[in-house]
Amino acid sequence: MDPKKEILYRVYVVFGFICLFGLAILGRVFFLQFVEGKKWKDMAQSLTTKYINIEPSRGNIYASDGSLLGTSIPIYDLRMDVNAVATKIFKDDLDSLSMGLAALYQDHSWKAYRSELSRARKRGDKYCLIQRGVSYTQLKASRLLPIFRLGRYKGGLLVIEKNHRAKPFEKLAARTIGLYQEGQKPVGLEGAYTDYLQGTGGKRLMQKISGGVWMPINDDNEVEPQDGSDLWTSIDINIQDVAESALMDALSKNAAEHGCAVLMEVATGEIKAIANLARDSSGNYFETYNYALGESMEPGSTFKLISMVAAMEDGKVKPTDFVDIEHGVKMYSDRKMKDSHEGIPNRMTVQHAFEISSNVGISKIIYGAYQNHQSDFVKAVTRMNVGQSLNMDIPGEAPPLIKNPKDSKSWSGVTLPWMSIGYEVRMTPLQILTFYNAIANKGIMVKPVFIKSITNRGNAVKQFQPAVINPKICSAQTVAYAQKLLEGVVENGTATNLKNPNYKIAGKTGTAQIANRDYGYKFKSTTTYQASFVGYFPADNPKYSCIVVVNAPSKLDYYAAIVAGPVFKEIADKVYSSRLDMHQEYFGEPATTLAKANLKTPAAPNMMVGNREDINKVTTKIGIKTTNDGTSEWAQMTLKSSEARLANATPGKGVPNVQGMGLRDALYLLELSGLTVKTNGKGLVRKQSLTPGVTFEKGAEIKIDLL
Amino acid sequence: MREEKTIFQNVDWFTICLYLFMVTAGWISIYAAVYNDEHKSIFDFSQNYGKQVMWIGTSFLLAIILLAIDGKFYAAFAYPTYIALIFVLIAVLLFGVDIKDTRAWFQIGSFRIQPSEFAKFATNMALAKYLSTLDIKMERLKTKIYSFALLAIPGGLILLQNDTGSAMVFAAFIFVLYREGLSGNYLLIGFFTALLFILALLISKLILVSVILGVAILFIILVRTNRKNMLVIAVGVMLSIGFVYSVDYAFENILEPHQKTRINVLLGKQTDLKGAGYNVNQSMIAIGSGGFFGKGFLNGTQTKFDFVPEQSTDFIFCTVGEEWGFVGTFTIIILFLVLFIRIIMLAERQRSTFSRIYGYGVASILFFHLMVNIGMTIGLAPVIGIPLPFFSYGGSSLWSFTILLFIFLRLDAYRFQIMR
Repeated sequence: MDPKKEILYRVYVVFGFICLFGLAILGRVFFLQFVEGKKWKDMAQSLTTKYINIEPSRGNIYASDGSLLGTSIPIYDLRMDVNAVATKIFKDDLDSLSMGLAALYQDHSWKAYRSELSRARKRGDKYCLIQRGVSYTQLKASRLLPIFRLGRYKGGLLVIEKNHRAKPFEKLAARTIGLYQEGQKPVGLEGAYTDYLQGTGGKRLMQKISGGVWMPINDDNEVEPQDGSDLWTSIDINIQDVAESALMDALSKNAAEHGCAVLMEVATGEIKAIANLARDSSGNYFETYNYALGESMEPGSTFKLISMVAAMEDGKVKPTDFVDIEHGVKMYSDRKMKDSHEGIPNRMTVQHAFEISSNVGISKIIYGAYQNHQSDFVKAVTRMNVGQSLNMDIPGEAPPLIKNPKDSKSWSGVTLPWMSIGYEVRMTPLQILTFYNAIANKGIMVKPVFIKSITNRGNAVKQFQPAVINPKICSAQTVAYAQKLLEGVVENGTATNLKNPNYKIAGKTGTAQIANRDYGYKFKSTTTYQASFVGYFPADNPKYSCIVVVNAPSKLDYYAAIVAGPVFKEIADKVYSSRLDMHQEYFGEPATTLAKANLKTPAAPNMMVGNREDINKVTTKIGIKTTNDGTSEWAQMTLKSSEARLANATPGKGVPNVQGMGLRDALYLLELSGLTVKTNGKGLVRKQSLTPGVTFEKGAEIKIDLL
Repeated sequence: MREEKTIFQNVDWFTICLYLFMVTAGWISIYAAVYNDEHKSIFDFSQNYGKQVMWIGTSFLLAIILLAIDGKFYAAFAYPTYIALIFVLIAVLLFGVDIKDTRAWFQIGSFRIQPSEFAKFATNMALAKYLSTLDIKMERLKTKIYSFALLAIPGGLILLQNDTGSAMVFAAFIFVLYREGLSGNYLLIGFFTALLFILALLISKLILVSVILGVAILFIILVRTNRKNMLVIAVGVMLSIGFVYSVDYAFENILEPHQKTRINVLLGKQTDLKGAGYNVNQSMIAIGSGGFFGKGFLNGTQTKFDFVPEQSTDFIFCTVGEEWGFVGTFTIIILFLVLFIRIIMLAERQRSTFSRIYGYGVASILFFHLMVNIGMTIGLAPVIGIPLPFFSYGGSSLWSFTILLFIFLRLDAYRFQIMR
């Protein structure tokens, strides 16, 4: 063959091959789209499979008693395929549907609903929004409305289920529990423990069947969703409630700007209650910011304890030493320091200077002890972990500020005296509380914690132990001194209004001036105050520590004991009434003596306490002279030379007095009043573990010893 | 003496227009394939379609550089480029990262590059250089062996990367060799072997062997033939029978399990709607449900809802089929055919053998990709993961096809300056 022709032939072969292939593809596509087109189209409609994500359920947040603080509940978005409804039905029932919706949701007039629906129909909306965030009951009611009750296909109602994070106790500890919303960074405990709470999503292979409905292909999920774990917090819902409402009362009474109250268990550092309230523009108070954690302020007088502990630990001072408070006014370089009360004797014990919160007294002690070695004071303070962040699990803790003499820019000649009384330092309420708690806890500083354990389907995932920050911040002697100082504040000092007969409170008031943003402390008229009270109770055997801070009270009172003290007291009272183990055991004298007396006069019937009517009946029958000294149903009988006197046996309210009763009467009375009874021995009740007359919580336990 | 023209006057603008059209259509298809409501902008760089803008831009830059380089450069540097690429292919085996069971990628930061894509044009250059040597004759055994070796070295290295699809591309050069004088019998033998392979898997061996023998006997009876041909036929029949009986062994022992299922699915011997057959089935649903005019831009349901895997890369053709229907697929295939024929016409007008052979190489490589890629999406070829030129998402492949094409356009623009 001619080489030229040969090459041309080969080129044509290649051309031919390419064209042939092009035809083959087009033929195949034609075949797929037209010959088999219907089959593939049907398949596209019906045989489509897809992995659908399965949302795991988010874990719950519990209070220490198992009350739900945070949980997920389903809510629904209602939409409508307006085109699905037949023309006649739509025309006839539109008005009644609109009226039903307007009545149910009360957000628009029925005419507004009507016009929106007719417009949606005109534009052929298949996904018209009716209402967002509908509850299940509202959903049920919506399904019964005209048109909608025809169902999904004829009525066009589309229901989209969503999960909503809810707090069953609403405002209670809201800021600490935090917030979880899709697409937003969760805050509070929801945020700190979101890795545990959220779980992991699952996958399920689903198939789209006619009507656009997704059906699972297999019985099991391809990837099982792992539900989130539950969070058990240390929050006690009852105390939290009291803390919140007591703080609320105090804030509104004093028209304060914001405030917080925190209750902590001394031994473990568990936060039992944490309330943060701030006034909004309408004058109401809401939990909007975690002040206890995030607001670093000059603490004022509450810092004096830290100064004193530092100085006492360094051996510079003892409570029994004397100090001259110089009529409450002293110049440090060019600045004048004043006490809030004037006309008080000059020479007094250090203990008393602390009790009356003398600025001059405390600053003189500290200045005198450290003026030549100012950094020693800072060392002594920081040695006790003051000035360290607590590294809380919840984000947002403000770091404390303790100045250092080495930093000459911030450290001036008057820094030391002012620092000793709580200015030129910054600490958050939680950081201060942690220090006071350490004093209550015999020098062991523990970290405040919110979480006791994390569980998944009842199995423990993680248990939290008390975290010790510093096992010994100071010597036992110093702790004893410090406790004495704090007890003195309530006994003889600025907080005598907190004294009560049931249990002893130890603590310290703090009335700090807050620097004005523009004028500093210059003008009296621009000065605002922060009133705080921090302490622990019962003073003899500390169980709980607590801090209350009220910021910028704008009424006349700004002294801490009057503004913040009552909140502390109210919380402490509530705790005291619910923690009966804090009560001292009550040994009732009358019953024992009576029992003895009875044995000596065998002639008289053995009926010390009982139903008044019954006793009367018996004594009259056997001819004992009887005088009724009361009218209560239960009477206590005393025999004196064959004359019986029937006094009221039980106080009108609180724990009944059952001493001297038989088991049957005692049980009846105690259980009737709502106590849980534990008995020991047999005979007559000799001893009961709860003092008659004290208030208690339903279900509290009482032990009675019988003899 | 012909008047000197600038490169931009000599270059073949028709091909460049085709190129621009295809790249743009590809970009829009990627947008349609992975479109989602949250990222509506086609320039959203977190999405494949946004990133593709970057690849397209850099490709244009590459194209301009390639056109600006002196045409003599390409022939002169054919072997060095080839050798350099061989080293890179060895390097990727040693230092590359493993992605989906293959070790074909280098990772530099968040940036990945696939050297096997670039081996294509390097090999093409080397083969063209070799075959354009003065006294070369395709009939000689030495020439065949050398040519084969030039193809087999990169092909083998890529096979070692476990990237069978890319390795198979080197088979496309058989068209080049054919144009340069390789006997058509080789094409026939290749075709016949593939046919036997498929038939051996599909029907009983005994029947197949009987048919082979029958055809041979008929041929001998009907066509008067001499002794030599008799011998050829006898050897051919024996080899065929041997081949048929070794197919099973090869199929069971040489192929990887996923390759076996893919072939079985293609031949209809196995249905596997969740595994290997899933892709093809979904792809055919997408194309088949497109109809004549398609479902309309961004209205595809199969590709959009992630039913079709690899929808922006290997299965990009489905998106076109679903959203633009028969009209769209027809247009694309015609565009490609026009491009191939144009390249072959350009190749035939070259005075330099190097340019001509290179041009054929370009056409062959592009053609092979088109054949396998589209064949796969419409269920005509087994699933082999190679991209659709200029359409599929991916930097390495777009760059490599751009380089491949624009070197040829540069050679073509320079054709008047060389006499040989």
